[in-house]
Amino acid sequence: MRFFLLVLTLLAASFFLQEFLPVFDWAYSSRLLLVHTVFFTIAIAVPFPVMLLLALVTGFVWDARYHVPVVSPEAAADAIAQAELPFGFTIFILAVTGALIQGVRPLFRRGRWELPVFMIGLCTILCLVLQYLAISFHRGGLELPPELLWKLVMTGLFSALISPFLLLLLTRLADRTRFKIRSEDRKRKHSYDGDTI
Amino acid sequence: MSRLNIIALIVFAALLIWVTLFQPEAVSRIQSGAMVVFEPFMKASTRLESGVETVGTEALSPVQMQSLLADLERERDRLKLEVIQLDEIVRENNQLRRALQYVEKAPLEVVAARVINRKPSNWYSTLVIDKGRSHGVRVDSPVIVPVGESAGLVGKVSEVIGENSALVLLLTDEMCQVSAKLQNSQEQGILGGQRGALRTMPNLRLRYLSKEAEAASGRKVVSSGAGGLFPPDLLLGEVISFEIGAIDAEATVKPSVNFEELIDIFVVLPVMAEEEAAAEIIEETATLPKEDS
Repeated sequence: MRFFLLVLTLLAASFFLQEFLPVFDWAYSSRLLLVHTVFFTIAIAVPFPVMLLLALVTGFVWDARYHVPVVSPEAAADAIAQAELPFGFTIFILAVTGALIQGVRPLFRRGRWELPVFMIGLCTILCLVLQYLAISFHRGGLELPPELLWKLVMTGLFSALISPFLLLLLTRLADRTRFKIRSEDRKRKHSYDGDTI
Repeated sequence: MSRLNIIALIVFAALLIWVTLFQPEAVSRIQSGAMVVFEPFMKASTRLESGVETVGTEALSPVQMQSLLADLERERDRLKLEVIQLDEIVRENNQLRRALQYVEKAPLEVVAARVINRKPSNWYSTLVIDKGRSHGVRVDSPVIVPVGESAGLVGKVSEVIGENSALVLLLTDEMCQVSAKLQNSQEQGILGGQRGALRTMPNLRLRYLSKEAEAASGRKVVSSGAGGLFPPDLLLGEVISFEIGAIDAEATVKPSVNFEELIDIFVVLPVMAEEEAAAEIIEETATLPKEDS
């Protein structure tokens, strides 16, 4: 329980820290998406229902802060015109990518960090890709300039670069609170998600 | 999949559907609440950013500051005189217009605002300002800055987040489309920015020009006023290239406003029609507590 409270505190802190992180103009206006990175780091360490709960909380607060209610001109005339990225869309994409990252949870539990770090970067890119596709769908045309690909790659790279530090912090917090991230008894049979059966 | 996971998934799906069905008013209320929490951090971040930018710049000595102050005072006095002269000219102009039975052109009513957060969104070119509902800012209010002798268009208010904050969609965004014309001509088109907020200062595209348009490099582009959203003759940029297509022509336009250095901007407030203003006054009077007789 203490671990989950600490994890929630970490997420809250990431929201406030995100405000101080600059946009890197030299890297095609990419940025370090700290909130997403913290969420994915936690998503590797916690069970599936907790990941869904965190996706709900993180996505809701993210949209409350960063949602832009832009309606495409074609849809503006419609009486029930929806924003291009509707409120709650972040919850959906965090849950999808969070479920994906849970696939490498057994590896993380065995103390292997290479693939989890790669997956954190990849899932951050995937979040942006899903948003961009939704925007392009509303505007009726998919534009893929080279700058866009660079922006995606750089954002993913920034996330992957800081994720080892966050994974380390998470394991330390787990040790302090006696929350078992690592599977200690490897002789026992493991189920698909690493839980002992 | 365990039973617990399935139950969690069903509950999650139900909550997600509930959130996505929120009405725009409810979303606006949630965002206003979030802004109350995040606003101090946004302001602190902007202060920090400007503090970092000034590090390394040479501090002025007291003598230099005294000299600068004297210069500024002289400039202020000169501008005061200019304003007095201009007021006289405006009065005279309006008298002549009345004599000719012209409709008087209402001056733009603006409110000064400060940028408190830059580029908050991943995919939209936006910024957050410190003026909101309580200052009369409305959705779609144009946002301008002085550029030389004229007013340059920055963008439009996309959302009034709270009493003291609003989100501005910049001219450099694809979704901020302005009816524009080449200065001193009737050649009109639609000016728009770039998708994805990939650069701070992207070139703009002036589309749907006629093939015969005289869009030489360096020609100024201004708002046409068509559609009524943006006032006419706001400076938008200048043509850097012109391409003729199969049906129409398109010009590439360099924005006149430097979007990287925006600090103080002006929001153009909506001008109320006389009847609307009168109705508002009556409404306000009706809600006032009655004095004891």
